[in-house]
Amino acid sequence: MHPIQRPDRRASGTGKTPHPDVEFEFDRTWVDELAERTARNGPWDDWTLFALAVEAERAKLVTSFDELQALRCLPAFEPMPHQIATARKVLHEMGGRAILADEVGLGKTIEAGLILKEYIVRGLVRRALILVPASLVLQWVRELNQKFGIPATAQKKAHSWHSDFVVASLDTAKREPHRELLLSNDYDMLIVDEAHKLKNKKTSNYQFIQQLRKKYCLLLTATPVQNDMDELFNLITLLKPGQLGGQSDFAANFVADKRLPKNEDRLQEALSAVMIRNRRSDGGISFTKRIVRNIEVKLSPEEKALYDAVTGFVRQRYDESGRDLASMLSLITLQREVCSSRDAVFLTLVNLFKKTAEDSPMRAKIWELVEFIRRIQANSKAEKALEIIRTTNDKTIIFTEYRATQEYLLQFLKQHGIHAVPYRGGMNRGKKDWMMDLFRGRAQVLVATEAGGEGINLQFCHHMINFDLPWNPMRVEQRIGRVHRLGQTNDVKIYNLYTTGTIEEHIVRLLHEKINLFEMVVGELDDILERLEREEQPLEQRLARLVLESDGDADIRRGIDALGRSINRLRADAKRSPKSSLDSVLPVLSVVPDGADAAAEARP
Amino acid sequence: MNAKQIHRFVERYLEATGCTILEKSPVHFKVKLSPAADRELTNRPYYWSFVDRTGVEPETMSLLLVTDAAKYDAMTAEAESAGAGAGGPQGGAAEQAGMAALSRSFGFVPAGLGTRMPRDDLHFGSRRLEQLFAAARRGGRFVCLFQQPDERALHPYDSAPCTPWLGVNVKVGFVCDMKREEMHAFGVSLATGTVVERFFDRLQGLKLSPRLPANVHVTGASLSLKKAADLIEQALLQKLKTYDYGWAAAANERLKEELARLAHYYEPLLKETDDKQREQIAAQYEARKEEILWQLKPRVVTEIVNAGVFHLSGLA
Repeated sequence: MHPIQRPDRRASGTGKTPHPDVEFEFDRTWVDELAERTARNGPWDDWTLFALAVEAERAKLVTSFDELQALRCLPAFEPMPHQIATARKVLHEMGGRAILADEVGLGKTIEAGLILKEYIVRGLVRRALILVPASLVLQWVRELNQKFGIPATAQKKAHSWHSDFVVASLDTAKREPHRELLLSNDYDMLIVDEAHKLKNKKTSNYQFIQQLRKKYCLLLTATPVQNDMDELFNLITLLKPGQLGGQSDFAANFVADKRLPKNEDRLQEALSAVMIRNRRSDGGISFTKRIVRNIEVKLSPEEKALYDAVTGFVRQRYDESGRDLASMLSLITLQREVCSSRDAVFLTLVNLFKKTAEDSPMRAKIWELVEFIRRIQANSKAEKALEIIRTTNDKTIIFTEYRATQEYLLQFLKQHGIHAVPYRGGMNRGKKDWMMDLFRGRAQVLVATEAGGEGINLQFCHHMINFDLPWNPMRVEQRIGRVHRLGQTNDVKIYNLYTTGTIEEHIVRLLHEKINLFEMVVGELDDILERLEREEQPLEQRLARLVLESDGDADIRRGIDALGRSINRLRADAKRSPKSSLDSVLPVLSVVPDGADAAAEARP
Repeated sequence: MNAKQIHRFVERYLEATGCTILEKSPVHFKVKLSPAADRELTNRPYYWSFVDRTGVEPETMSLLLVTDAAKYDAMTAEAESAGAGAGGPQGGAAEQAGMAALSRSFGFVPAGLGTRMPRDDLHFGSRRLEQLFAAARRGGRFVCLFQQPDERALHPYDSAPCTPWLGVNVKVGFVCDMKREEMHAFGVSLATGTVVERFFDRLQGLKLSPRLPANVHVTGASLSLKKAADLIEQALLQKLKTYDYGWAAAANERLKEELARLAHYYEPLLKETDDKQREQIAAQYEARKEEILWQLKPRVVTEIVNAGVFHLSGLA
């Protein structure tokens, strides 16, 4: 309806203009039709509709260059101040070409939607192409439709490319025959989510995006730099070639080392013209609280017996192997599983049994362990989890590391009359969406084995049970991030279940008391773990070694304390030298209070 | 547009298209659409082509149009508590499960699909209201109207002269990477070539009819429509010349900077590379230049919203 003025990209022909700085074109498409209708004396339209048309156009008129029009069209939607500030900056200072590099969970999708909506309302965008990972296609479609009233469709068949607002996966789009079709079009706006997949200019992803013709362009990524400075250069060149100079200028001016920038101030200035990064730590962005409770679970004598037997078995194997950590992976898993459920242990033992030679003495030992499993009648942790779920009497998500535990819990909850649904990485997209729908609707509990997958947003739920804790703190943070994100209106309650007298007790102590994981911000943790890895081994391996080599409980305790100290030292280091981190050159948008930037408008 | 204005707009549209209003309050309409409105609003091209080809009696849809959602919800909640839960909630469990399945497959299903009387909340910016706006524009493009003479003033045997005017509503956009708009309503006397502004507002005070009234005769037009359009273009240009074009100068400045930046990046690159790759890079350079012109080039564009011939007795 609202025909976009396709600019004549060559010089205009009429020569008439109100001012030398602008081109001018007068719409004459109507003259012939009116003349024809006059000659034939009709057909004529209705006077009321004629008047309503004028009224409608007057109501839709964009009366100012600056004011955000999108907001008055979205009465039910209230973006956060940093999101509005970001949209304003992209619209008014960046001309609609920008990298949105907010940290995870601050709403890059919202910012992009807001910018897109504004251009649509102003009649500057009529067609847009949105390229995202396959797992996010439907979520984007949903958000654009529900939050922004933008009639976006998911690309399913060849003909859906012809819709005005198409969401598709980058992997599909870059393949023939889609590629050729897309390259033959002009897009008023292109949005690429998870744009760090475009950091290498030799890839087909990169070259495809470079060839697409687009007026406005938004690249979304939480990690604009992952490995080295060249990635940053490539990403920016995709958006605005020359912004950091040519490749050789860039190397000479800004690169001290592959991973180390120089002339940080100038680099930051150059970046700030094309990139916006909001951080959680910047303030102005308020989150609800995280309330962490560590719940102690006492093992039954039978469970304790199994735990001790497995521990003994694992350590014996370790000593036999000549203390070779690399060969111990499945046994370390066993050590961790024994804290989760007997089902998980059993499955791993069966696999181990199958793998060992028939005449190996190991087989008898494994059989012994299975005997221990047989004696166990109940799962103390599951009882505890049930108790929590019954007292909260609210939507609750349970995370476990193991498939077998997941199956067991689903069955256990079902027996006790609680409607629970599973969620795991191996499910296809449709099934994942289905499970999410069920959880949003009738089911009270979601039992999930995967937290890292993009696109699980569970803001509607604020109780989370860590049935077992991963040894990698990033995975814990990812779990929490699914629930504790923008849009969460309640304080998030996190229950960590740990069994006394086991390694779990130590892990909880390390993560909670020593490194205070549950109150840390995302970027910080990432940074510290990376430093830890550079100095020594990854945290998981250090924990494994500690468990396998320590001499009794007190020894483990000392080891954990030492680990906690070195992590805190690294954290202090990280705080002291912010400049050394590549991340520090990324431009940060300071949120301006509303109205402070109401600049005078240049009135034609 | 506030809720009241929207309500008035919807009411006038429904009346003008001959829809049957089943129920209404100051905040909602329940309406059975007329065939004309159904074709515009329900997005059922296959159904209508079926009706057209077979000539069956069309079954039009009914809509619940809510112009103030908050007040409507309060009103229905009150009615429901008074009626003590007479009539269950819309749609059973099976229907909801069906909707959920559709939404899993497509990501989004417009509310109300499949229900008997879909509800639309018509706030400014909502899709249904946008659709009504668009329908009004499609249905109100060209008119030819006659001013009704004031009956008391006229002697029954007199005949009042009516002069034809061309009335045009034009939307002017000032565009670079951003945009601002204005609306202008020009009228040109087809007898004398006089051009006036705010013509549409003048028409609103008059009684207009599509039929030539008695006691009125139409004087001939001495100007062609094409010539009249030229006069409007001239008048618009004159008006626009008095505006400030600082925004355009600024946009041109940015355009120049961006082109220089591109040149700085691509020109050394073109010199360095061998023939085979050069062609590719040159093409890329051209594409980037075009994109920047497309994005930033300042221009004033016009779009005619609608136009008509008006036979008026008051104006010469």
